[in-house]
Amino acid sequence: MTVPAIELTGLAKHYGSFHALDGIDLLVPEGSVFGFLGPNGAGKTTTLRILTGLAQATSGSAKVFGSDVASAGNDVRARIGFLPDVPGFYDWMTAEEFMRFTGSLFGITGSTLEDRVKALLDLAGLADVRSRIGGYSRGMKQRLGVAQALINAPSLLMLDEPTSALDPIGRKEVLDMIASLAGRTTVFFSTHILSDVERVCDTVAILDRGRVVAQAPIEELKSRYGAQKIVLEVTAAADALARRFSAESWVSAVERENHSVVLTVNDIDAARREIPPALVSEGAGLARMEGGEVSLEEVFVELVGGER
Amino acid sequence: MRGFGAFLGKELREILRTWRIWVLPGIVLFLALSGPILAKLTPELIRSMSDGGGLGGAVINLPDPTWRDAYAQWTKNISQIVTWALVIILGGIVSAERRSGTAILVLTKPVSRPAFILAKFASNSIFLVVTTAVGAVATWGVTYAVFAEAPVRVLAEATGVWLVFALFVTALMTLVSALIDSQSGAAGLGFGALVLLSIATLWGPAVEYSPAGLLSAPNAVLLGTDVSLGWPLTTGAIAVVLLVWGAVLAFGRKEL
Repeated sequence: MTVPAIELTGLAKHYGSFHALDGIDLLVPEGSVFGFLGPNGAGKTTTLRILTGLAQATSGSAKVFGSDVASAGNDVRARIGFLPDVPGFYDWMTAEEFMRFTGSLFGITGSTLEDRVKALLDLAGLADVRSRIGGYSRGMKQRLGVAQALINAPSLLMLDEPTSALDPIGRKEVLDMIASLAGRTTVFFSTHILSDVERVCDTVAILDRGRVVAQAPIEELKSRYGAQKIVLEVTAAADALARRFSAESWVSAVERENHSVVLTVNDIDAARREIPPALVSEGAGLARMEGGEVSLEEVFVELVGGER
Repeated sequence: MRGFGAFLGKELREILRTWRIWVLPGIVLFLALSGPILAKLTPELIRSMSDGGGLGGAVINLPDPTWRDAYAQWTKNISQIVTWALVIILGGIVSAERRSGTAILVLTKPVSRPAFILAKFASNSIFLVVTTAVGAVATWGVTYAVFAEAPVRVLAEATGVWLVFALFVTALMTLVSALIDSQSGAAGLGFGALVLLSIATLWGPAVEYSPAGLLSAPNAVLLGTDVSLGWPLTTGAIAVVLLVWGAVLAFGRKEL
């Protein structure tokens, strides 16, 4: 059995009476592109700060490739790459100088360093930029941030909200960089932007108020919640059906789209019993009936938004 | 102490390529070059004011200035102006990287926190020693040009004694900046500590046995006063070690 890239067990972080993390358990499989999803203030950055040794947990354990981050220190940090949510750079350096500097912190020298600096600046689209970092756009800084996090060819790349402050083009560039890493390293990617997770991640955990409320591969998560969505395409009486279903207690929401009625149900057994007689009673010819596609956003809202 | 060398290299390059290369050397060189000239001109200025009735008819007779007056300008300037400048400049020696976020990028690499602090202290100490040495050579050169006499040994001793005190200030500011996020707050605390040290010089044993004795030592060396600097130098060096150690401990416990 392979050791998970990240293993959090009962991890808690308290600031006085405020519980930033409230005993979270999490497993990040090696090789995955893992989305760590949650609204602002859910505890994502706190988790990453503990994982990188910048903060200490109140209780519980955080392991990276089986090593406890609190005691392993530099041994763990030598295997990870990290990009904080607001990366700070030395403005007086050029991108190339910064990459050489970060490489030297890992003890990388000679032709290995030269090759990596060149390859990563190419990947970040900064190979031809000779100006100092102080004059860079946010997108350029973020791409440099991802590049510097890769200088040690990390086994685990941790990115904290890498796209949250970027314009659409900057976001696309950074997401393309992350997507290109799939299969080469484990990526642990915190964000509150659902579309980013859907685009690049294969597995997701949803964090809310310091607790993990769901963790699964994205498709499994969507299918788990998609089973509660039913699409009915009828030849007639769609409006009457929609009105009728709106009054049912087993229906949470009803949407109308042309000849279709999309039901979000809270009792799938009741739905299976009640839908056929309703179709007959309203005289609606059934053209199609299937489980609906659910977006990650809907899963997220159901898990997180409902309590707000 | 993994990462010390690489981070020290960055620190030294940063000094050479940012505003830092201009401020402290600028102040020190200005004072070094102007001191001997001011020493030469001051008696003449006062005499001319006295002759013109500018001093209410009072007649002041001053002896002719010598190299000793030029050196006194130097020791007075470094003991006062440069010391206070150091406190202001070094207020952000640690906290500036924490505020800008660069410390996070560095310390999530295999760089230990003690290495981070020690590299900061070492680079600023090197910068201080080199700057002071250049300033001392400059003031020696101008003194020789103006007064045709400029003994080296007494200048080297007076400057060396002050350097030990300046290293004490550097260590003090390293600790304060590791404790306080605000640069102005750290500078304020540094000022407070130096004022307390100045007050301590009113008490004889403090001058004899503690780093407070280093405050007036450069001038005493220059005047050839019979002072024993063994204890102040020893306790000053011990204080440097303890202050840097305290900075390492304080920064090690800090959440970033």
